[in-house]
Amino acid sequence: MQGKKALSISLIFIFWLFISAQSNLPKFSSPALITSAGQNAEVQMVAVLAKRAGIEHNLNKLATAQDLAGFKSLLLVLGASMKGLGAAGLDLNKEMERVRGLLKGAEEKNIPILCLHLGGEERRGAQSDEFIKACLPAARMVIVVKSGNKDGLFTRLCQEKGIPLIEIERTTEALEPLKNAFAQ
Amino acid sequence: MVVAAHPLAVEAGLKILKAGGNAIDAAVATACALNVVEPFASGIGGGGFMIIYLARENKVTVINFRDKAPSAFYPEIFTEKGEEAPVWRTVKGTAVGVPGALAGWDLALRRYGTKRLAEVMQPAIDLAERGFKVSETFSSINKEEYEKILANAGEKTVYLNNGLPYEPGDEFRNPELARTLRLIAQKGIDVFYKGELASKIVRAVQEKEGLMTLEDLASYRAVEVEPLRGQYRGTEIFTIPPPGSGLHLLQLLNIASFWPVSQWGLNSARYLHHLTEAMRLVFADREAYLGDPDYVQVPVEKLLSPDSARLKANLIRSDGVLMEYLPEEIKEHTKAGNTTHLCVIDDRGNAVALTQSINLFFGSGIIPEGTGFILNNQLDDFASTSSGPNAPGPNRRPASSMAPLFLFQEGKLKLILGSPGGTRIFPSLAEIIINIIDFGLSLDEAIEAPRFFSYSQHGRIRPLSLEPRFPEAIIKELEALGHKITIREPYDRYFGGAQGILIDYKRGLILGGADSRRDGFGRGY
Repeated sequence: MQGKKALSISLIFIFWLFISAQSNLPKFSSPALITSAGQNAEVQMVAVLAKRAGIEHNLNKLATAQDLAGFKSLLLVLGASMKGLGAAGLDLNKEMERVRGLLKGAEEKNIPILCLHLGGEERRGAQSDEFIKACLPAARMVIVVKSGNKDGLFTRLCQEKGIPLIEIERTTEALEPLKNAFAQ
Repeated sequence: MVVAAHPLAVEAGLKILKAGGNAIDAAVATACALNVVEPFASGIGGGGFMIIYLARENKVTVINFRDKAPSAFYPEIFTEKGEEAPVWRTVKGTAVGVPGALAGWDLALRRYGTKRLAEVMQPAIDLAERGFKVSETFSSINKEEYEKILANAGEKTVYLNNGLPYEPGDEFRNPELARTLRLIAQKGIDVFYKGELASKIVRAVQEKEGLMTLEDLASYRAVEVEPLRGQYRGTEIFTIPPPGSGLHLLQLLNIASFWPVSQWGLNSARYLHHLTEAMRLVFADREAYLGDPDYVQVPVEKLLSPDSARLKANLIRSDGVLMEYLPEEIKEHTKAGNTTHLCVIDDRGNAVALTQSINLFFGSGIIPEGTGFILNNQLDDFASTSSGPNAPGPNRRPASSMAPLFLFQEGKLKLILGSPGGTRIFPSLAEIIINIIDFGLSLDEAIEAPRFFSYSQHGRIRPLSLEPRFPEAIIKELEALGHKITIREPYDRYFGGAQGILIDYKRGLILGGADSRRDGFGRGY
C-alpha cells in the first residue's frame, strides 16, 4: 500500500515537473560553450543539434573556466567514456578537476548551465554517476534520454533542487527542447 | 554449425551450408555478411586471417589476408608528425592499408571451397538491400565513433541516420554496399583491385593525404602459409604465424603450463596475478620481435621453446609485480593492431576459424564515394617508433593481435576459437583455453567468465584491466601485490567478442559458444 502511495506521489511530481517544464522553462542565451563532463561521444551530437537549432556555439572538449569568457550559456554533456578520457590523455580525477573548475567559473560569472545526458542506460555506472552528481545541482535545466533515468537518479536530483527535467525517448528529440530553451 | 558476431551473418553461413557448401564456402558467406550487419568491425575495406582444417586430408592451413602498407610507406611516416601522429595513424589516409579481405576470401574459395564467390556473396547482398534492425551494440558503437564518422564520411553517410547515430531498433539499409557487392559478384575481385572500385579507393585515400596508389591495389596478394603449432597440457594447438599473434598465445600457454593453475582456482588472485605477469613479459617479446616475416626474422622457435617458457615462469614472483619487463635476449637474431571472428564446421568435419578487421571500430571512417564500405585504419598497428621489427615500411603487413586457432585432443579437432579485441585478443584466448582445460568450464562458461588483461610497454608495467565481476576481495589482493587496477564494464567489448565451437565426441554434440560482449550467436542444423 505504502509503495503504491509513494508511486502516486512520484508520478504527480513528475507530472508537475513536466507541466512546469513546459510552462516555465528557464531561457538560455547564445553564444553557448559546449563541453562534456567525462569526455563522452555525445558531446559531438549536442554540437550538431545546437547547429540545427540555430544556436551560436563553440565545442571545446577540454574547456576550462577561462574559456567561459564571452559565452552566455554552458551546455554540459554528462557521462564518462574511458575511450574518450584515454584519447584526451586524461584520467577520471583530472577530468573531474576540469569539470569542477568549469562549474565554479560558471557560477562566478553567472553563466547558466544546461545539462544533457544523451547516452542512455549505457552511459551510466559509477564513473558516469560521479559526473552526474557533481554537475546536476548546478544546472538550470536538464535534458535526459529516458533510458538513462531508469533508476530515477535524474528525477531525484532534479527534485531535490527544483530543476526542470525534460525526458526524451531518443537523442534526436533533444532538438526541440534545445530550440525552445534558446528561443528569444 | 556457424558461430559469428551477428545472428544474420550466421544465417548467411547456414544458408550456404544447407545448399551443399562446405565450411570454407560458409565462412566466406558469413564473413561477407558481417560486412553488412557489423560494418563497423570488418569488411572488404579490411583484412584478416583464416585457419582452415580439411578433414579428409587431415590438413591445417592458413590464409593470410592481412592489409599491407602502400609501397611509398616509410619508417618515419608517423613519427615525423610529432604530437599529431595519432591522427595520421587512425583517421587520415595514411592509416589505410591495402585491403586484403576480398583477395583472402577469393583465394580460400578457389583452393578449398566448392562454390563461386558470387554465390556465397548473395546472402550479404540481400541483407544490404533488405536492411535489418540496429542492435544495442551497433547503436552504441555508432555513437562512440560519431565524431570520426562525421569528420570523414559527413552527415549524409549511410552510417548515420539523418546525420545522427542510429538508435537501437532503427532500420539500417545499405544500398550502396549492395551495389558494390553485386558489382564484385558480377565482375570478380579485379574490379576491386584493378577496376572502378580501385580508382574510388585510391581517390578517397589520397584526398585524406594517404599514399596508396592503383599499383598498390593491383599488386596485393593474399598468401597461404603454414600454421604455427604448439601444445598445452596434452592438447595440440594450431594457430596463425606472424605477423599474427598466435606465437604469443602459445607463449602464454607455455608459461601457464609450468603452474598448477587448476589448484590455484578459477578467478583466484594467485592465478590472475601470475597470468597477468606472463602477459606483460610476453608483450615485451612482442614489442621486440613481432613483425612481418617477409621483412624481419621473428625468432618463433626460440620464443616457443620450453626453456623460454620456463625462464619466464621462474622470473614471475608470487609476492608482487616485477615492475620491469624486458624482452628475452636472443643471440644470433637478425633484426632486419576492432575486428570480428567467426567459426564454421561442416558435416564432413572441415572447419574454419576466421578473424577479420578494419582495425578500430568504423576503421578510418573513410568511405570511397558511393561504395558503402569503410576503409580500415590497420596501419595504426605499426609500432610508434621508426625502427624495430614492426616499424612502418613499404609493402609490409603490420603486426596483428589476431590468433584464430584449432585445438586438437587425442588427434581429433576439439575446439575452434577466435576473438576480436585488439591487443586483448591473444590474452583473452589464452584465458578461455585455460578456463576449459584447467578449470573444466563449458565453452559458453569459459567465454562468458570475467576477463582480465594487462601488458607492458617499453619495459614498463601497465595497469591491470578487469571486469568488475571478480570478487572485491580478489581485486584488493591484486592491488596489494602491486597491480594498478582499472575497472571496466561487467561485460566489456574491450576484451573482445570470442566465438567458438566445441566438439564433444563422448556425447556426440557440437556446441557453439558466442560472446555476449557483442551480438554473438551460433546455430547449427
